[in-house]
Amino acid sequence: MRKTLTTILAVLAAVLVLSQAALAIPAFARKHAFNCNMCHVAYPKLNDFGQRFRDNGYQIPGQQGLEKTVFQSAFPVGVRTSAGYNLYGAGGQTAGGFHVFGLDLFSGGVVKKNVSYFFVYTPRIDDPAADFNGPGAGDNPSQLASVESAAVVFSNIVRDKLNLRVGRFEPDFHLLSSRRSYYLLQPYEIYDFAGTRSSFDFAANQIGLEATGRFKPGLRYALGYINGTGGTPDNNKLNDLYLTLSKVFGKGEGQSAGQRIGAFGYLGWQPTSTLGSIVSPIGDLNGEGNKTFYRVGGDISLNWRTFNLEGVAFYGSDDRAFNEIDPTRRYDFWGGVAELDWAGCPDNRLVASVMYNWIRPPSDDGIHRVDAYSALARYYVGSWSAVDIAIHAEYTHRVSGSVAKFKENLVTLLIDLAF
Amino acid sequence: MRRTVCLAALPVALLALAAVGVIGALGQEKAPPITRINAQVLGPQPLGPLPPVMHPPGNPPSAAKIRLGKELYFDTRLSADGTIACATCHNPALGWSDKGPTSEGIHGQLGGRRAPPVSNAAYSPLQFWDGRSPSLEDQAKGPIQNPVEMGNTHEAMIQTVSKISAYQDEFKAVYGEGPITVDQVAEAIACFERTVVTTDSRFDRYARGDHGSLTRLEKEGLEIFNGKGHCTACHWGPYFSDGRFHNLGVPHADPKNPDAGRFAVTKDPRDRGAFKTPTVRDASRRAPYLHDGSEKTLESLIDFYDRGGGRDPNLDPLMVPLGLSAREKAALVAFIKALDSLNPEVADVKPIAAKDLPR
Repeated sequence: MRKTLTTILAVLAAVLVLSQAALAIPAFARKHAFNCNMCHVAYPKLNDFGQRFRDNGYQIPGQQGLEKTVFQSAFPVGVRTSAGYNLYGAGGQTAGGFHVFGLDLFSGGVVKKNVSYFFVYTPRIDDPAADFNGPGAGDNPSQLASVESAAVVFSNIVRDKLNLRVGRFEPDFHLLSSRRSYYLLQPYEIYDFAGTRSSFDFAANQIGLEATGRFKPGLRYALGYINGTGGTPDNNKLNDLYLTLSKVFGKGEGQSAGQRIGAFGYLGWQPTSTLGSIVSPIGDLNGEGNKTFYRVGGDISLNWRTFNLEGVAFYGSDDRAFNEIDPTRRYDFWGGVAELDWAGCPDNRLVASVMYNWIRPPSDDGIHRVDAYSALARYYVGSWSAVDIAIHAEYTHRVSGSVAKFKENLVTLLIDLAF
Repeated sequence: MRRTVCLAALPVALLALAAVGVIGALGQEKAPPITRINAQVLGPQPLGPLPPVMHPPGNPPSAAKIRLGKELYFDTRLSADGTIACATCHNPALGWSDKGPTSEGIHGQLGGRRAPPVSNAAYSPLQFWDGRSPSLEDQAKGPIQNPVEMGNTHEAMIQTVSKISAYQDEFKAVYGEGPITVDQVAEAIACFERTVVTTDSRFDRYARGDHGSLTRLEKEGLEIFNGKGHCTACHWGPYFSDGRFHNLGVPHADPKNPDAGRFAVTKDPRDRGAFKTPTVRDASRRAPYLHDGSEKTLESLIDFYDRGGGRDPNLDPLMVPLGLSAREKAALVAFIKALDSLNPEVADVKPIAAKDLPR
């Protein structure tokens, strides 16, 4: 324990010293010679400029065709990783250890005017160690090798009003993005909740096609046609559909300014039996008998100075074929997340946040109810040309189940690096 | 299954194409050099010291031409009634601009915009707030015959200059035998203006490696300038300007007769109400700010940006509220002041007194 803490302190000291000369910055910022906070409130959370940059196909808003392509600049590659110490407690037992919590390799850029791409590869990580008892306990590797994103964006097919994203991407019903959340250990629980027999992963990046656009004043839409099975090929012959609409009041995109309210609906199908050798989500063997599920919800983002209160809540309903507890009726649930973020110190170098997650399954499901209370603080170190290293402390108290309540506590101190 | 594989294959194929392109580019051609023109095409460049000025091939500099241009620049006889010189509105003592809010021309007439700074204008690919002029040479001809600026005609101005024997000698020394032309006048003035370049400021010293030349607050300001403040979205590169045109939502003095800005030149609706990004170098010396001088101080200017600019249907998408704290605003002001020129040959240029002008 003492040795581990000594190691962490040494690493933190090294980061603080090295950061005085740090020049490494992620791919987009490096291309434009911008600091990270041009696009991020504090990375990874996007600000309004960053949201417009993303929506515009990774081109500076309003400046399409007036910037370097990937052929005219250093090839845009970046790395993000986080590693640190984690202490987990439940049922009077505690365990801790030093772990690498994630590693992303990414590339993105403009191929030509209004044509761009974004690619993220996550290599396999054989961690956490066997003594790890936190989220993902028992999983080894903790991160599977996968192409998390591989999408091409065709922007401004109709100026501002129609952009197309093709490939594997983060769907736009994630306006509250779990991938750009400050929280590194505590997920948005409702995103990860899949009911009892469904395998639909709301949080996953999906393969398909998405049209997005915006209309004045402040109206934004996304319409998607996706596989609904994340990056996993399956024998689901029916693809899924979704529609999101949002409206921003005031200037901005609701990320760091303006007040945003949105709604979304998702309609999907999953097989209850499979053809061939691939096993269906519920273990049958025929590949047919698709049944529906849907998600309907809304999100909100309110800004005042550097405070941002955001949340998402949705109602989910799966066909009774996916209800393991009572197959005579649909499995209906709802849940959400509410998060209050604050950024302070010059250039938002300090971030603090509190978050509440909840899941409410049907009354006869005594297992899947969740209440999770989280808090974090992040401090960013760096030089004038980049802020790309964060010291991150995060705490979660999680209570699950309604019959027998299971309480867990998780404390994490880590370094989050992007370069 | 087949469809998802196809969808996944598309970006992979494009990535492969991109990789082939990069490998090809590495082997065959390098990215073009950053010149004054293609910098505008290639987009944001790092902040840093200004490179040497590029003179157009058709107007090479010489000491005699620069001297002649300087005399013409300060000579009120170029105007119709002998009261207005270039330097009247582009005053070295006022950051090579004027006291504003907008410029006062002949007979006390007020223009709709304030005078853009002449200092470092050599780096701007287009001149005037609306970019209607492609060069300093072309720009120099405009105000002479503008009825609310110098109120003259080119012909009358040439007649005036041609009657001054000392000017005759100087033009002859620079251009050889022949009548004085308006092009020669403009070339000489432009040649002088290309010497009004600020190569030294505390920021430039910092960028060259003297990290003690900026205070802690100024360094914070630089970080915010290039990040949370979003300043470098437009004020990028050594010139601290993209040379492009943006609608900031500046309220119109006369809403019934709004200033169309760049739209008057291009007729592109996207340019309506858009004005050229000015350099930030020496900005603290030329209050008030914006094309109409509507913001009196750097502090009020930063407040304007912090609010996300004004309201306009054509507001530039780069304009968003910034959420700056009081300290961050103070840091920005401090950094902008660190861009003040330390070049005495620019900052301390004194007007040529009338008695010292060619007779």
